[in-house]
Amino acid sequence: MHRGIGLTRFDLRTRVVSFWDMSKKKIVEFSRYPVAFVALFVQIFLIIAMFLFASLAFTPSGSDPSTQRGLGATVVYGFIVGLFLSFTLWEIGFSIREEQTRGTLESLYLSPASKVSSLVARTFAILLWSGAMSFMAIVFVGGVVGGLPTANIAAALLVLAFSISGFLGIGFIFAGVTIKLKETAQFLVNGLQFFFMIFSAQFFPFSALRGVHPFIVDGISKWLPVSYCVDAFRSLLLGLPPGYPELGISIQGEVLIVVAFGILSPIIGYWIYKRFETGARRQGSLGEY
Amino acid sequence: MAAVGVSRGFGLGRPGWPAKLNVVRTVFLARIRIISRYKGAILMEALLPIVFAAMPVLLGTSVAGGNPAEAFCNTLVRGGGLVIPPGETCIQNYPNFGNYKLYMLIGASTFTVVSIMMWLIGYWVRREQETGTLESLALAPARRIWILAGVTSYAFVRAMIAFVIAILLGSLVFQVNPFEQGVAPALAFLALGLLPLWGLSFMFGAFIMRIKEADSVIQVLQWVLAFLMGVFYPLTLLPPLMQGIAGLFPPTVMTDAIRASILNITYFYGSAYGSVAVLFAMALVTPLLGYELFEVTERRLRRREGVGHY
Repeated sequence: MHRGIGLTRFDLRTRVVSFWDMSKKKIVEFSRYPVAFVALFVQIFLIIAMFLFASLAFTPSGSDPSTQRGLGATVVYGFIVGLFLSFTLWEIGFSIREEQTRGTLESLYLSPASKVSSLVARTFAILLWSGAMSFMAIVFVGGVVGGLPTANIAAALLVLAFSISGFLGIGFIFAGVTIKLKETAQFLVNGLQFFFMIFSAQFFPFSALRGVHPFIVDGISKWLPVSYCVDAFRSLLLGLPPGYPELGISIQGEVLIVVAFGILSPIIGYWIYKRFETGARRQGSLGEY
Repeated sequence: MAAVGVSRGFGLGRPGWPAKLNVVRTVFLARIRIISRYKGAILMEALLPIVFAAMPVLLGTSVAGGNPAEAFCNTLVRGGGLVIPPGETCIQNYPNFGNYKLYMLIGASTFTVVSIMMWLIGYWVRREQETGTLESLALAPARRIWILAGVTSYAFVRAMIAFVIAILLGSLVFQVNPFEQGVAPALAFLALGLLPLWGLSFMFGAFIMRIKEADSVIQVLQWVLAFLMGVFYPLTLLPPLMQGIAGLFPPTVMTDAIRASILNITYFYGSAYGSVAVLFAMALVTPLLGYELFEVTERRLRRREGVGHY
């Protein structure tokens, strides 16, 4: 017998229904703030436009348009992976913090609903919206640079799916860290986001990092699963041109790393989250503001 | 008159300068005490411009291939209407124009100052609304301008701490020297530029008070600011209409003038005098306009649903 739900069977259907209800709660919350949705949308386009102008400042006069297309694709495809990572990192931890602030986190723990579902449901709505925004970002940049290469779409989407699953694991860890560190965790998330932005080469090719010092790629980027997510996704969509993937192993090897990351990261992440949560419950600091 | 005086909590007395300054000091110290508990925030604010600057630097290196300095120099020279003699390189003629790393670092650091000022004032209004203390402030006998002066002073100090750390640390990271030339005019431009920035912050505070959804508005406005300020690129790359809009925006003029004086490159308004004149006019108009807007918005809200409406 499950705790708290009497003789009710906690089967797959119940889990799906409760997951949908939890996600729906978030969707309803989002729908109450239409300005936030529009702002997010505008923000994405402004960031992309800024980087496009920045690249224009360095474009030698009379450069090949296909080079510009390739570069636009490098920026936008890296940015898409970064977008999902950023939202996953922010949304789970931030919403846990909100529950703490409002004083509803402890009550939530009295409910018999699955904790994994509760964590994932926090990002479900924003991930759906990110997908739509990514599509529009591709259309926007494609329009500006005269079309983007879109090879191996199915394989790239598979890589993206496993990447998102892997990011959820990192999000779980940060949810645990948020319970422990409270407000300070936001700064950590911020720092981590920028760390990945640079060392996983989200806005530029890895060759730029190698140009600064080869150790940055060999000693840091290659040890980050997120780098393989960015590199594999980008390389597949670019149609594996010479020099891609950039991290020194084959595309099959990179996809394998991404799949392993997508499977293992949520498991390890949730385990770490549970440790933080158990510690906080023992100390009685779960709902502490 | 007496009735107004009594209703403001001072009886028939009128607060003198020491009392007014005490309000500023108290608000300032309260904010400083709060932030001193979040040391990570200050560190992150200082590191942020370096990360921001690193991204276009790395992107530029890949775009330009072998010689990013030459490519960037060409863009600045073309935008400034200057000419490179045939057969010579841009760097040979205009060596300062190729210092793209310092260009990005200064842009990102001034952007941080602007962003922190706007963010802190916007958030202050929203926080007071959320915690239900904005209405209590309206009942306090102190005039709003002194409370706002305290908050903006705090925002200014915090922004300057981030700016100084970012410039010093960024110079080490990017191996550039921002102290070679034009430091004094750059500091003068920064000081002059902060006055209209205060005005803009008041306007921003009024806007947040009115629309309430602070988080999303602040985030999107941050990127609008970065876009208009030309943090990562010269403004001459923007279409003419956008250039005109950006040129009327005080932080754009401030950033452009600071960069131009330190790097000895062309000014958006033609010369240092042109930028001084424009910034001076903005420094006169924007704070008054900003404060007036803040007061009008607050008055209207008090008449309708109340300023503390959550």
